[in-house]
Amino acid sequence: MEDVLILKDYKTVPDIVHEYSPSLKFGHIPLVIDNGSYQCRVGWSIHDEPHLIFKNLIARPRKDRCKKDAEPPVTPPIQIGNDIINIEAVRFQLKTQFDKNVVTHFEVQELVCDYIFSHLGIDNEGSVPHPVVMTEAFVTPNYSRQLMSELLFEGYGVPAVSYGVDSIFSMYRNDIGDTALIVNMGYHTIHIIPVIRGKVIEEHARRINLGGSEIICYMHKLLQLKYPVHVNAITMSRIEEILQEHSTIALDYQEEIRKWANPDYYEANVKRIQLPFVQPASSSGLTAEQQKERKKEMARRLLEINARKREERLAEDEEQLNQLLALQDLIEEGDTEEFNEAIKSFEIKNYGDLQRQISNLNMRIEKNKQRIATAANAEEPPEPRPTGRWQAPSDPEAFQIWLNDTRAKYREVLVRREARRARRAAMVKRRTAAAAERMRAISRLAAAGDDFGYRDSDWDVYKSISREADSDSEADGERLVELEEALREHEPAQPSHHQHQLHLAIEPYRAPELIFQPSMMGNLEAGLAECMEYVFKHFSPEDQLLLANNVFLTGGCSQFPGLKERLEKELLEMRPFQSTHKVVMAQNPSLDAWYGARDFAGSNEFDNWCITKEDYYEMGGEYLKEHHASNRYYKSPAPIIDNTLAPAGDANVIKEEIVVDC
Amino acid sequence: MTGEPEKLHCFKVENKFIVKSGCKKRMWRSLKQILATDRALPWPNDAVLYYSINAPPTFKPTKKYSDISGLPAPYVDRHSKLYYSNADEFATVRSLPMDITAGYLQLRGATTIVG
Repeated sequence: MEDVLILKDYKTVPDIVHEYSPSLKFGHIPLVIDNGSYQCRVGWSIHDEPHLIFKNLIARPRKDRCKKDAEPPVTPPIQIGNDIINIEAVRFQLKTQFDKNVVTHFEVQELVCDYIFSHLGIDNEGSVPHPVVMTEAFVTPNYSRQLMSELLFEGYGVPAVSYGVDSIFSMYRNDIGDTALIVNMGYHTIHIIPVIRGKVIEEHARRINLGGSEIICYMHKLLQLKYPVHVNAITMSRIEEILQEHSTIALDYQEEIRKWANPDYYEANVKRIQLPFVQPASSSGLTAEQQKERKKEMARRLLEINARKREERLAEDEEQLNQLLALQDLIEEGDTEEFNEAIKSFEIKNYGDLQRQISNLNMRIEKNKQRIATAANAEEPPEPRPTGRWQAPSDPEAFQIWLNDTRAKYREVLVRREARRARRAAMVKRRTAAAAERMRAISRLAAAGDDFGYRDSDWDVYKSISREADSDSEADGERLVELEEALREHEPAQPSHHQHQLHLAIEPYRAPELIFQPSMMGNLEAGLAECMEYVFKHFSPEDQLLLANNVFLTGGCSQFPGLKERLEKELLEMRPFQSTHKVVMAQNPSLDAWYGARDFAGSNEFDNWCITKEDYYEMGGEYLKEHHASNRYYKSPAPIIDNTLAPAGDANVIKEEIVVDC
Repeated sequence: MTGEPEKLHCFKVENKFIVKSGCKKRMWRSLKQILATDRALPWPNDAVLYYSINAPPTFKPTKKYSDISGLPAPYVDRHSKLYYSNADEFATVRSLPMDITAGYLQLRGATTIVG
């Protein structure tokens, strides 16, 4: 009994506008925004759960350029976050404010902030009167922070802002002490951040430029290449679902893939994913004979309609002919005036024209009559199909034999065709046996004597030289088509749901393995284990032991089953013999950053850690107030202006005024 | 939600970065450009910047896996440069159309502009 998994295809639910109670409004409650490149999570710091969780994306449809009328172009509505009901429909219009894990596109960020504030119900006039805690990337460039502060302070009038790093918030939330090696597996990056006695050692932290989005892309392309038929059905959202529900990280990758080389293991463990499909209407119970009857019926009806049309046209033509003949009679009677009037009504210019029209009509009538005659003859029933390879015997035993026979013939023709094609392909390439033989044949032809061509078989030489498909292969092709038709009619067809299944064998293990071996997709950086080893090397052995005993996993991508065991095994391999190590997972890898930031906002000293508006205007947008969970602030140095360079080009040219006499 | 940009939210006085449709779009600098300008500035020696914490390149030799099945791949197809692991896979590799071959090579990062 095979196990078929069905894709659930989750649909997003649009967000409601939350209630903005007076206690929120007048209490200056801090607003906590975890601005991640995958999801944005927003909530008030006094609540337990974030109010809004949505994908950090907008869908901006392109304007139609064809409207060149005077009306101004109507902007189609922009969908943001959870307003995007069907993400696959707008897949190509999606835009995000992130470039890797840093915010660079602030127009989109402003749209997202509008969405956030309006869905929280904020109705204050002219500004958002709440301090904001915002997460930023680890070691964000100052430029990005400057624009973000500009947006918040000047655009929304926020009174105070505090920036923090999401992974460190998550660490403090999980209460594992103040010394840990944080491994944050995000959507575009994996960060390895050592924290010793509460101090973040930034210079020894490392970032691998690989994350959930690369893993999803890899698996997406892999499945599309394996199943080119289902390219449209294999969507990114379905791949996300497969990764989140059905993928694991292998404990020992080499051993795991060797297991799959065994066909029995494959049969037992392959995952069959059922794609949704539409049942074709032909299986509505009609047998082959009834279908044939239907086709004959329709053909007969068509012929009838055509015959009727021809008769009508014939009648019309004859009618017109009579009228024109009457006109001709008028002339012969000598009534020129009446004639001239009459021909005006028929739009004929003179007598010659009239003659021409009459002859045309006569020809048309002749042709029509001929066609009707042939159609009448063709209505005899078509000749019975020749018996032989198409006709299946009705006796069941003989039918089976005939079926097997036909299948064998089909395979034979296929093999012959493949061989011919392979030979032709080899003939084209240089230095192959087939090409050498072809040359030999040509030179033999050139040296052929006068009696070439007396026998019919001589001319077969040209078939073997020709580089293109010749009559033999055409004949074979036709036979193939006939055999296919015969087989299709009589062979039991595979149930269609088998044709719409994806078989996943190694793929669920292969894609997450990118974390440890980025070289599988061409990325030359060290994988997670090697990078951790590199980071360890920068510390003293005592510190290394402290760090290894508290490896903290957080971030959305860390939820792959089997990751913890794999990391423990890697640590066992890289740490000194008989030293201890421990891997700790965050309680809620996706949301702990928000919870940590919320705790931070609710603490007593929160006001000391905020950048106020005055600070912003005084120190500039890049300013960052450091705290236990933030980046370090390095003020941007002024750009060097080199004064030793030569002055501008025209400094020494004397300008004269020239008067021209015209 | 906003229909036209003219209709603003009550908590905003004016759009900071959002432009009206049809007006000149501001070109936002990409991360690469931001990092390039950062690199040119005279930072003090102890400053830690975005590109300073890039992961090191790998020192271990890369393991080769078959492009079509993922099994360990000791062999390479001479014509298409795809990795394969046994004779059946070889037959499949030879029969693949060109666009799928190119897709597999691109997935592995083995496409170069030359040739």
